[in-house]
Amino acid sequence: MNAKQGLFRLPRILGTVAVLAALMLPSTATSQDVAVGQATATVLAVLAVSATTGLDFGNVYQGVSVTAAKDNSTTGTAAGVFTITGAASADIAVYMQMPEYLATSSGDDRMVISFNSTDAAFDTTGNVDPASFATGVADVDPYNWGAAATNVGSTGTSAIFLGGAVIPSVNQTAGAYTGDIIVTVSYIGT
Amino acid sequence: MREAHLSRSSVRWFPRWTTVAAVLLFLVPAFDALAGVLVAPPVVILSDKGRTGRITVQNTATTPREVTINFAFGLPESDSLGNVSVLLQDSAITDPFSCVGWVKAFPRRLILQPNSQQVVRFVAKPPKDLANGEYWSRVVVQSKESEAAVPTSDPEQAITAKINMIMQTAIMLKYRQGDVFARLELQDTQVEDHDSTVQVMLDLKSQGTASYIGVLHCRLRDANGKLVGSDNLQLAVYRHLRRRFVFPVVGEDFVKPYQVEVEITSKGRTDIDARDMIYGNDIDYSMLVE
Repeated sequence: MNAKQGLFRLPRILGTVAVLAALMLPSTATSQDVAVGQATATVLAVLAVSATTGLDFGNVYQGVSVTAAKDNSTTGTAAGVFTITGAASADIAVYMQMPEYLATSSGDDRMVISFNSTDAAFDTTGNVDPASFATGVADVDPYNWGAAATNVGSTGTSAIFLGGAVIPSVNQTAGAYTGDIIVTVSYIGT
Repeated sequence: MREAHLSRSSVRWFPRWTTVAAVLLFLVPAFDALAGVLVAPPVVILSDKGRTGRITVQNTATTPREVTINFAFGLPESDSLGNVSVLLQDSAITDPFSCVGWVKAFPRRLILQPNSQQVVRFVAKPPKDLANGEYWSRVVVQSKESEAAVPTSDPEQAITAKINMIMQTAIMLKYRQGDVFARLELQDTQVEDHDSTVQVMLDLKSQGTASYIGVLHCRLRDANGKLVGSDNLQLAVYRHLRRRFVFPVVGEDFVKPYQVEVEITSKGRTDIDARDMIYGNDIDYSMLVE
Protein backbone atom coordinates (compact mmCIF):
# COMPACT_ATOMS: atom_id res chain seq x y z
CA MET A 1 0.00 0.00 0.00
CA ASN A 2 1.48 3.34 -0.97
CA ALA A 3 0.90 6.76 0.62
CA LYS A 4 -1.71 7.78 -1.98
CA GLN A 5 -3.86 4.72 -1.38
CA GLY A 6 -3.67 5.36 2.35
CA LEU A 7 -4.93 8.92 1.88
CA PHE A 8 -7.88 7.65 -0.19
CA ARG A 9 -8.82 5.18 2.53
CA LEU A 10 -8.58 7.70 5.41
CA PRO A 11 -12.00 9.30 4.84
CA ARG A 12 -13.62 5.86 4.75
CA ILE A 13 -11.99 4.88 8.01
CA LEU A 14 -12.98 8.16 9.64
CA GLY A 15 -16.52 7.76 8.36
CA THR A 16 -16.77 4.26 9.76
CA VAL A 17 -15.50 5.46 13.11
CA ALA A 18 -18.03 8.31 13.07
CA VAL A 19 -20.90 5.97 12.30
CA LEU A 20 -19.85 3.59 15.06
CA ALA A 21 -19.58 6.51 17.49
CA ALA A 22 -22.99 7.75 16.47
CA LEU A 23 -24.45 4.32 17.03
CA MET A 24 -22.89 4.11 20.44
CA LEU A 25 -24.13 7.52 21.61
CA PRO A 26 -27.85 6.76 21.70
CA SER A 27 -27.03 3.52 23.40
CA THR A 28 -25.25 5.38 26.16
CA ALA A 29 -28.06 7.91 26.47
CA THR A 30 -30.65 5.15 26.72
CA SER A 31 -28.75 3.27 29.35
CA GLN A 32 -28.76 6.38 31.48
CA ASP A 33 -32.57 6.36 31.43
CA VAL A 34 -32.87 2.85 32.74
CA ALA A 35 -33.14 2.57 36.48
CA VAL A 36 -32.05 -0.54 38.27
CA GLY A 37 -35.03 -2.17 39.96
CA GLN A 38 -36.02 -5.42 41.51
CA ALA A 39 -39.19 -7.40 41.16
CA THR A 40 -40.11 -10.25 43.42
CA ALA A 41 -42.99 -12.67 43.27
CA THR A 42 -44.06 -15.76 45.09
CA VAL A 43 -45.82 -18.33 42.97
CA LEU A 44 -48.49 -20.18 44.91
CA ALA A 45 -49.66 -23.63 43.95
CA VAL A 46 -53.01 -23.87 42.25
CA LEU A 47 -55.52 -26.35 43.54
CA ALA A 48 -55.18 -29.74 41.91
CA VAL A 49 -56.22 -33.28 42.64
CA SER A 50 -54.47 -36.38 41.38
CA ALA A 51 -55.20 -40.05 41.76
CA THR A 52 -51.93 -41.42 43.05
CA THR A 53 -53.06 -45.02 43.39
CA GLY A 54 -56.16 -46.69 42.05
CA LEU A 55 -58.48 -48.61 44.37
CA ASP A 56 -57.55 -52.23 43.70
CA PHE A 57 -59.50 -55.27 44.88
CA GLY A 58 -57.08 -57.82 43.49
CA ASN A 59 -58.49 -61.26 42.88
CA VAL A 60 -62.26 -61.49 42.99
CA TYR A 61 -64.12 -64.80 43.11
CA GLN A 62 -67.80 -65.57 42.70
CA GLY A 63 -69.73 -65.25 45.92
CA VAL A 64 -66.77 -64.00 47.93
CA SER A 65 -66.76 -60.38 49.04
CA VAL A 66 -63.45 -58.57 48.88
CA THR A 67 -62.67 -55.62 51.13
CA ALA A 68 -59.88 -53.17 50.42
CA ALA A 69 -58.92 -51.43 53.64
CA LYS A 70 -58.13 -47.73 53.51
CA ASP A 71 -54.90 -48.39 55.44
CA ASN A 72 -53.77 -51.25 53.18
CA SER A 73 -54.15 -53.72 56.01
CA THR A 74 -55.96 -56.28 53.86
CA THR A 75 -53.73 -58.60 51.86
CA GLY A 76 -53.86 -58.50 48.10
CA THR A 77 -55.70 -55.20 47.83
CA ALA A 78 -54.69 -51.55 47.61
CA ALA A 79 -56.40 -48.47 48.96
CA GLY A 80 -57.23 -45.67 46.56
CA VAL A 81 -55.09 -42.59 47.12
CA PHE A 82 -55.97 -39.12 45.91
CA THR A 83 -53.45 -36.35 46.41
CA ILE A 84 -54.61 -32.76 46.74
CA THR A 85 -52.17 -29.90 46.32
CA GLY A 86 -52.84 -26.21 46.78
CA ALA A 87 -51.99 -23.11 48.76
CA ALA A 88 -50.74 -24.10 52.19
CA SER A 89 -53.43 -24.14 54.90
CA ALA A 90 -56.18 -23.09 52.50
CA ASP A 91 -59.65 -24.39 53.30
CA ILE A 92 -61.10 -26.66 50.68
CA ALA A 93 -64.27 -28.64 50.11
CA VAL A 94 -64.18 -32.21 48.90
CA TYR A 95 -67.01 -34.02 47.20
CA MET A 96 -66.93 -37.64 46.09
CA GLN A 97 -69.28 -39.41 43.73
CA MET A 98 -69.16 -43.13 44.34
CA PRO A 99 -70.47 -45.90 42.10
CA GLU A 100 -73.16 -48.25 43.37
CA TYR A 101 -71.97 -51.04 41.14
CA LEU A 102 -69.31 -51.95 38.62
CA ALA A 103 -70.42 -53.11 35.20
CA THR A 104 -69.00 -55.10 32.35
CA SER A 105 -68.23 -53.17 29.18
CA SER A 106 -71.17 -54.83 27.46
CA GLY A 107 -73.43 -53.95 30.38
CA ASP A 108 -74.77 -57.48 30.65
CA ASP A 109 -73.86 -57.85 34.31
CA ARG A 110 -73.17 -55.71 37.35
CA MET A 111 -71.27 -56.22 40.57
CA VAL A 112 -72.15 -54.39 43.76
CA ILE A 113 -69.52 -52.09 45.25
CA SER A 114 -70.06 -50.54 48.66
CA PHE A 115 -68.46 -47.98 50.91
CA ASN A 116 -69.19 -47.53 54.59
CA SER A 117 -69.21 -44.37 56.66
CA THR A 118 -65.55 -44.72 57.71
CA ASP A 119 -64.05 -45.88 54.44
CA ALA A 120 -62.16 -42.66 53.79
CA ALA A 121 -59.41 -40.83 55.64
CA PHE A 122 -57.99 -37.38 55.11
CA ASP A 123 -54.32 -36.87 55.91
CA THR A 124 -53.15 -33.25 55.98
CA THR A 125 -49.45 -33.81 56.58
CA GLY A 126 -48.36 -34.50 53.04
CA ASN A 127 -48.08 -38.23 53.71
CA VAL A 128 -49.42 -40.27 50.80
CA ASP A 129 -48.89 -43.71 52.32
CA PRO A 130 -52.22 -45.18 53.49
CA ALA A 131 -50.43 -47.43 55.95
CA SER A 132 -48.89 -44.45 57.73
CA PHE A 133 -51.82 -42.17 58.45
CA ALA A 134 -50.48 -39.22 60.40
CA THR A 135 -52.77 -36.29 61.20
CA GLY A 136 -56.12 -35.20 59.83
CA VAL A 137 -59.51 -36.86 59.91
CA ALA A 138 -59.11 -40.61 60.36
CA ASP A 139 -62.68 -41.65 59.59
CA VAL A 140 -64.62 -39.88 56.89
CA ASP A 141 -67.84 -40.90 55.22
CA PRO A 142 -66.97 -40.73 51.50
CA TYR A 143 -70.61 -39.92 50.75
CA ASN A 144 -70.61 -36.97 53.12
CA TRP A 145 -67.50 -34.86 53.40
CA GLY A 146 -69.41 -31.92 54.81
CA ALA A 147 -68.77 -32.93 58.40
CA ALA A 148 -65.03 -33.30 57.87
CA ALA A 149 -63.24 -29.99 58.17
CA THR A 150 -60.81 -30.13 55.28
CA ASN A 151 -57.73 -28.09 54.78
CA VAL A 152 -54.91 -28.47 52.31
CA GLY A 153 -52.52 -28.61 55.26
CA SER A 154 -49.47 -26.60 56.17
CA THR A 155 -47.34 -28.45 53.63
CA GLY A 156 -49.72 -27.64 50.78
CA THR A 157 -50.36 -31.32 50.19
CA SER A 158 -52.97 -33.61 51.63
CA ALA A 159 -54.21 -37.06 50.74
CA ILE A 160 -57.44 -39.01 50.67
CA PHE A 161 -57.19 -42.70 51.45
CA LEU A 162 -60.17 -44.73 50.28
CA GLY A 163 -61.22 -48.27 50.98
CA GLY A 164 -64.30 -50.19 49.92
CA ALA A 165 -65.73 -53.59 49.15
CA VAL A 166 -66.99 -55.45 46.12
CA ILE A 167 -69.69 -58.06 46.59
CA PRO A 168 -69.88 -60.51 43.69
CA SER A 169 -72.89 -62.78 43.54
CA VAL A 170 -72.55 -66.54 43.44
CA ASN A 171 -73.48 -66.53 39.78
CA GLN A 172 -71.53 -63.39 38.89
CA THR A 173 -70.61 -63.50 35.22
CA ALA A 174 -66.89 -63.83 34.64
CA GLY A 175 -65.41 -60.74 33.06
CA ALA A 176 -63.90 -57.34 33.57
CA TYR A 177 -65.93 -54.84 35.60
CA THR A 178 -65.36 -51.10 35.73
CA GLY A 179 -66.80 -48.08 37.52
CA ASP A 180 -65.98 -44.42 38.12
CA ILE A 181 -65.07 -42.60 41.30
CA ILE A 182 -65.17 -38.85 40.85
CA VAL A 183 -63.40 -36.59 43.33
CA THR A 184 -64.16 -32.88 43.17
CA VAL A 185 -62.18 -30.29 45.11
CA SER A 186 -62.73 -26.57 45.38
CA TYR A 187 -61.48 -23.70 47.47
CA ILE A 188 -64.11 -22.37 49.85
CA GLY A 189 -62.34 -19.07 50.37
CA THR A 190 -62.74 -17.66 46.87
CA MET B 1 -10.02 -49.99 56.20
CA ARG B 2 -12.80 -47.49 56.00
CA GLU B 3 -12.54 -47.34 52.22
CA ALA B 4 -12.68 -51.10 51.99
CA HIS B 5 -15.73 -51.16 54.23
CA LEU B 6 -17.45 -48.51 52.11
CA SER B 7 -16.55 -50.40 49.00
CA ARG B 8 -18.00 -53.61 50.36
CA SER B 9 -21.07 -51.76 51.44
CA SER B 10 -21.51 -50.29 47.99
CA VAL B 11 -21.19 -53.66 46.37
CA ARG B 12 -23.64 -55.15 48.81
CA TRP B 13 -26.20 -52.40 48.17
CA PHE B 14 -25.78 -52.29 44.43
CA PRO B 15 -28.30 -55.01 43.63
CA ARG B 16 -30.83 -53.48 46.05
CA TRP B 17 -30.51 -50.05 44.52
CA THR B 18 -30.93 -51.45 41.04
CA THR B 19 -34.02 -53.24 42.26
CA VAL B 20 -35.36 -50.05 43.82
CA ALA B 21 -34.61 -48.13 40.65
CA ALA B 22 -36.34 -50.75 38.55
CA VAL B 23 -39.40 -50.64 40.82
CA LEU B 24 -39.46 -46.83 40.66
CA LEU B 25 -39.18 -46.89 36.90
CA PHE B 26 -42.12 -49.24 36.87
CA LEU B 27 -44.16 -47.23 39.37
CA VAL B 28 -43.58 -43.71 38.09
CA PRO B 29 -45.54 -44.23 34.87
CA ALA B 30 -48.27 -45.92 36.90
CA PHE B 31 -48.56 -42.90 39.23
CA ASP B 32 -48.26 -40.52 36.33
CA ALA B 33 -51.09 -42.22 34.50
CA LEU B 34 -53.39 -41.09 37.30
CA ALA B 35 -52.14 -37.52 37.61
CA GLY B 36 -54.56 -34.63 37.23
CA VAL B 37 -54.31 -31.27 35.51
CA LEU B 38 -53.57 -27.81 36.81
CA VAL B 39 -56.14 -25.04 36.46
CA ALA B 40 -55.38 -21.35 36.94
CA PRO B 41 -56.44 -18.81 38.08
CA PRO B 42 -58.58 -19.96 41.03
CA VAL B 43 -61.35 -17.49 40.23
CA VAL B 44 -62.66 -16.00 36.98
CA ILE B 45 -64.28 -12.58 36.94
CA LEU B 46 -66.56 -11.40 34.15
CA SER B 47 -68.67 -8.26 34.07
CA ASP B 48 -70.94 -6.19 31.88
CA LYS B 49 -67.83 -4.25 30.89
CA GLY B 50 -65.83 -7.34 30.00
CA ARG B 51 -67.92 -10.35 29.20
CA THR B 52 -65.06 -12.67 28.37
CA GLY B 53 -62.54 -14.44 30.55
CA ARG B 54 -60.14 -17.30 30.43
CA ILE B 55 -58.41 -20.02 32.36
CA THR B 56 -55.36 -22.06 31.50
CA VAL B 57 -55.44 -25.82 31.85
CA GLN B 58 -52.09 -27.56 31.98
CA ASN B 59 -51.27 -31.24 31.74
CA THR B 60 -48.13 -31.88 33.74
CA ALA B 61 -48.27 -35.61 33.17
CA THR B 62 -46.45 -37.50 30.47
CA THR B 63 -49.58 -39.09 29.08
CA PRO B 64 -52.51 -37.39 27.32
CA ARG B 65 -55.50 -36.23 29.34
CA GLU B 66 -59.10 -35.84 28.29
CA VAL B 67 -60.34 -32.60 29.82
CA THR B 68 -63.99 -31.63 30.01
CA ILE B 69 -65.33 -28.23 31.09
CA ASN B 70 -68.74 -28.07 32.72
CA PHE B 71 -70.69 -25.60 34.82
CA ALA B 72 -72.41 -26.15 38.13
CA PHE B 73 -73.80 -24.06 40.95
CA GLY B 74 -72.39 -24.34 44.43
CA LEU B 75 -71.70 -21.83 47.17
CA PRO B 76 -69.79 -22.45 50.40
CA GLU B 77 -72.42 -23.41 52.95
CA SER B 78 -72.00 -24.14 56.62
CA ASP B 79 -73.82 -26.38 59.04
CA SER B 80 -74.69 -25.65 62.66
CA LEU B 81 -71.20 -26.73 63.75
CA GLY B 82 -69.43 -24.36 61.39
CA ASN B 83 -68.29 -27.02 58.95
CA VAL B 84 -68.22 -25.64 55.42
CA SER B 85 -68.92 -27.61 52.28
CA VAL B 86 -69.71 -26.94 48.66
CA LEU B 87 -72.50 -28.99 47.12
CA LEU B 88 -72.42 -28.79 43.36
CA GLN B 89 -75.70 -28.69 41.51
CA ASP B 90 -75.57 -29.14 37.74
CA SER B 91 -79.27 -29.28 36.90
CA ALA B 92 -82.60 -27.81 38.04
CA ILE B 93 -80.83 -24.73 39.36
CA THR B 94 -83.35 -22.20 40.60
CA ASP B 95 -81.08 -19.77 42.40
CA PRO B 96 -81.68 -16.28 40.94
CA PHE B 97 -77.99 -15.47 41.23
CA SER B 98 -76.85 -18.42 39.16
CA CYS B 99 -75.16 -17.66 35.85
CA VAL B 100 -74.77 -21.32 34.94
CA GLY B 101 -77.28 -21.06 32.11
CA TRP B 102 -75.77 -18.13 30.27
CA VAL B 103 -72.02 -18.57 30.47
CA LYS B 104 -70.35 -20.67 27.79
CA ALA B 105 -66.89 -22.23 27.61
CA PHE B 106 -64.78 -22.72 24.49
CA PRO B 107 -63.66 -25.42 24.05
CA ARG B 108 -65.67 -27.64 26.36
CA ARG B 109 -63.76 -30.81 25.63
CA LEU B 110 -60.13 -31.21 24.69
CA ILE B 111 -57.29 -33.64 24.66
CA LEU B 112 -54.22 -32.24 26.38
CA GLN B 113 -50.97 -33.72 25.21
CA PRO B 114 -48.23 -34.35 27.78
CA ASN B 115 -46.67 -31.21 29.23
CA SER B 116 -48.92 -28.97 27.19
CA GLN B 117 -51.47 -26.34 28.11
CA GLN B 118 -54.62 -24.92 26.62
CA VAL B 119 -56.53 -21.70 27.17
CA VAL B 120 -60.26 -22.11 27.77
CA ARG B 121 -62.29 -18.98 27.16
CA PHE B 122 -65.59 -17.97 28.72
CA VAL B 123 -68.25 -15.76 27.25
CA ALA B 124 -71.23 -14.45 29.20
CA LYS B 125 -74.54 -13.78 27.45
CA PRO B 126 -76.70 -12.46 30.28
CA PRO B 127 -80.41 -11.73 29.95
CA LYS B 128 -81.17 -8.17 28.83
CA ASP B 129 -83.08 -7.23 31.95
CA LEU B 130 -80.49 -8.55 34.38
CA ALA B 131 -80.59 -6.68 37.68
CA ASN B 132 -77.42 -5.25 39.16
CA GLY B 133 -75.49 -7.67 41.30
CA GLU B 134 -73.04 -10.52 41.26
CA TYR B 135 -73.93 -13.84 39.67
CA TRP B 136 -72.10 -17.09 40.31
CA SER B 137 -71.17 -20.38 38.79
CA ARG B 138 -68.56 -23.08 39.32
CA VAL B 139 -66.35 -24.06 36.43
CA VAL B 140 -65.82 -27.79 36.83
CA VAL B 141 -62.68 -28.99 35.09
CA GLN B 142 -62.68 -32.76 34.83
CA SER B 143 -59.65 -34.74 33.78
CA LYS B 144 -59.15 -38.39 33.10
CA GLU B 145 -56.96 -40.61 31.04
CA SER B 146 -57.65 -40.01 27.37
CA GLU B 147 -56.84 -43.59 26.57
CA ALA B 148 -58.09 -45.54 29.53
CA ALA B 149 -56.84 -49.08 29.66
CA VAL B 150 -59.57 -51.53 28.79
CA PRO B 151 -59.64 -54.19 31.49
CA THR B 152 -59.40 -57.78 30.41
CA SER B 153 -60.54 -60.70 32.46
CA ASP B 154 -57.97 -63.14 33.68
CA PRO B 155 -59.05 -66.68 32.81
CA GLU B 156 -57.78 -67.99 36.14
CA GLN B 157 -59.36 -65.28 38.26
CA ALA B 158 -62.47 -65.01 36.13
CA ILE B 159 -63.53 -61.65 37.59
CA THR B 160 -61.51 -58.44 37.52
CA ALA B 161 -62.46 -55.00 38.79
CA LYS B 162 -61.09 -51.66 37.67
CA ILE B 163 -62.00 -48.34 39.23
CA ASN B 164 -61.53 -45.29 37.03
CA MET B 165 -60.30 -42.40 39.14
CA ILE B 166 -61.71 -39.16 37.75
CA MET B 167 -60.48 -35.84 39.11
CA GLN B 168 -62.42 -32.58 39.12
CA THR B 169 -61.39 -29.10 40.17
CA ALA B 170 -64.20 -26.61 40.67
CA ILE B 171 -63.25 -22.96 40.50
CA MET B 172 -65.52 -19.98 41.03
CA LEU B 173 -66.75 -17.80 38.16
CA LYS B 174 -68.39 -14.47 38.98
CA TYR B 175 -70.28 -12.15 36.68
CA ARG B 176 -70.76 -8.59 37.90
CA GLN B 177 -73.60 -6.52 36.52
CA GLY B 178 -73.48 -2.78 37.18
CA ASP B 179 -71.88 -1.25 40.24
CA VAL B 180 -71.59 -3.73 43.06
CA PHE B 181 -70.26 -3.45 46.58
CA ALA B 182 -69.18 -5.83 49.31
CA ARG B 183 -70.25 -5.49 52.90
CA LEU B 184 -70.06 -7.97 55.74
CA GLU B 185 -71.86 -8.10 59.05
CA LEU B 186 -70.74 -10.08 62.07
CA GLN B 187 -74.16 -11.09 63.30
CA ASP B 188 -73.31 -13.21 66.28
CA THR B 189 -70.34 -14.46 68.26
CA GLN B 190 -70.62 -17.40 70.59
CA VAL B 191 -67.81 -18.54 72.85
CA GLU B 192 -67.85 -21.79 74.77
CA ASP B 193 -65.11 -23.18 76.93
CA HIS B 194 -64.85 -26.89 77.43
CA ASP B 195 -62.33 -28.93 79.39
CA SER B 196 -59.31 -28.12 77.33
CA THR B 197 -60.57 -25.98 74.49
CA VAL B 198 -62.20 -22.66 73.81
CA GLN B 199 -64.56 -22.74 70.87
CA VAL B 200 -65.49 -19.58 69.00
CA MET B 201 -68.44 -19.60 66.63
CA LEU B 202 -68.95 -16.68 64.26
CA ASP B 203 -72.08 -15.97 62.25
CA LEU B 204 -71.35 -13.85 59.21
CA LYS B 205 -73.75 -12.39 56.71
CA SER B 206 -73.07 -10.68 53.41
CA GLN B 207 -74.99 -7.42 53.15
CA GLY B 208 -73.56 -6.25 49.85
CA THR B 209 -74.45 -6.89 46.25
CA ALA B 210 -71.21 -8.80 45.73
CA SER B 211 -69.63 -11.60 47.70
CA TYR B 212 -67.33 -10.59 50.53
CA ILE B 213 -63.82 -11.91 49.98
CA GLY B 214 -61.25 -11.36 52.68
CA VAL B 215 -59.21 -12.73 55.52
CA LEU B 216 -60.48 -13.59 59.00
CA HIS B 217 -58.15 -13.49 62.00
CA CYS B 218 -59.26 -14.86 65.35
CA ARG B 219 -57.17 -14.60 68.50
CA LEU B 220 -57.55 -15.75 72.08
CA ARG B 221 -55.84 -13.90 74.94
CA ASP B 222 -55.78 -14.90 78.57
CA ALA B 223 -56.44 -12.69 81.59
CA ASN B 224 -52.93 -11.25 81.34
CA GLY B 225 -53.30 -10.35 77.69
CA LYS B 226 -51.00 -13.17 76.66
CA LEU B 227 -51.74 -14.64 73.25
CA VAL B 228 -52.96 -18.19 73.82
CA GLY B 229 -54.15 -19.09 70.35
CA SER B 230 -54.40 -17.55 66.92
CA ASP B 231 -55.77 -18.67 63.60
CA ASN B 232 -56.71 -17.12 60.32
CA LEU B 233 -58.48 -18.24 57.19
CA GLN B 234 -59.38 -17.03 53.76
CA LEU B 235 -62.98 -15.94 53.82
CA ALA B 236 -65.67 -15.95 51.14
CA VAL B 237 -69.17 -15.06 52.25
CA TYR B 238 -71.85 -15.18 49.59
CA ARG B 239 -74.87 -15.10 51.88
CA HIS B 240 -74.62 -16.51 55.35
CA LEU B 241 -71.66 -18.40 56.74
CA ARG B 242 -70.86 -19.85 60.13
CA ARG B 243 -67.20 -20.44 60.95
CA ARG B 244 -65.72 -22.11 63.98
CA PHE B 245 -62.36 -21.79 65.67
CA VAL B 246 -61.17 -24.18 68.34
CA PHE B 247 -58.25 -23.16 70.53
CA PRO B 248 -56.63 -25.72 72.82
CA VAL B 249 -55.92 -24.37 76.30
CA VAL B 250 -53.74 -26.30 78.69
CA GLY B 251 -52.61 -25.86 82.23
CA GLU B 252 -53.99 -23.91 85.13
CA ASP B 253 -52.45 -20.67 83.93
CA PHE B 254 -55.36 -20.06 81.60
CA VAL B 255 -57.98 -18.34 83.73
CA LYS B 256 -60.89 -16.06 83.11
CA PRO B 257 -61.50 -13.42 82.07
CA TYR B 258 -60.15 -14.14 78.64
CA GLN B 259 -60.60 -12.18 75.48
CA VAL B 260 -61.57 -13.22 71.97
CA GLU B 261 -60.51 -10.90 69.17
CA VAL B 262 -61.93 -11.05 65.68
CA GLU B 263 -60.47 -9.10 62.80
CA ILE B 264 -61.89 -9.30 59.30
CA THR B 265 -60.55 -7.43 56.32
CA SER B 266 -60.92 -7.68 52.58
CA LYS B 267 -57.32 -6.59 52.17
CA GLY B 268 -54.42 -8.97 52.08
CA ARG B 269 -55.73 -11.50 49.59
CA THR B 270 -52.73 -12.23 47.42
CA ASP B 271 -54.31 -15.14 45.61
CA ILE B 272 -56.75 -12.91 43.73
CA ASP B 273 -55.82 -10.17 41.28
CA ALA B 274 -56.29 -6.80 42.97
CA ARG B 275 -58.19 -5.61 39.90
CA ASP B 276 -60.75 -8.33 40.51
CA MET B 277 -61.25 -7.55 44.19
CA ILE B 278 -64.29 -5.72 45.51
CA TYR B 279 -62.96 -4.26 48.72
CA GLY B 280 -65.48 -4.15 51.53
CA ASN B 281 -65.62 -3.04 55.14
CA ASP B 282 -63.27 -4.10 57.91
CA ILE B 283 -64.50 -5.59 61.16
CA ASP B 284 -62.68 -5.36 64.47
CA TYR B 285 -64.44 -7.02 67.36
CA SER B 286 -63.37 -8.16 70.77
CA MET B 287 -65.30 -9.98 73.45
CA LEU B 288 -64.40 -10.37 77.11
CA VAL B 289 -65.50 -13.67 78.60
CA GLU B 290 -65.75 -13.65 82.38
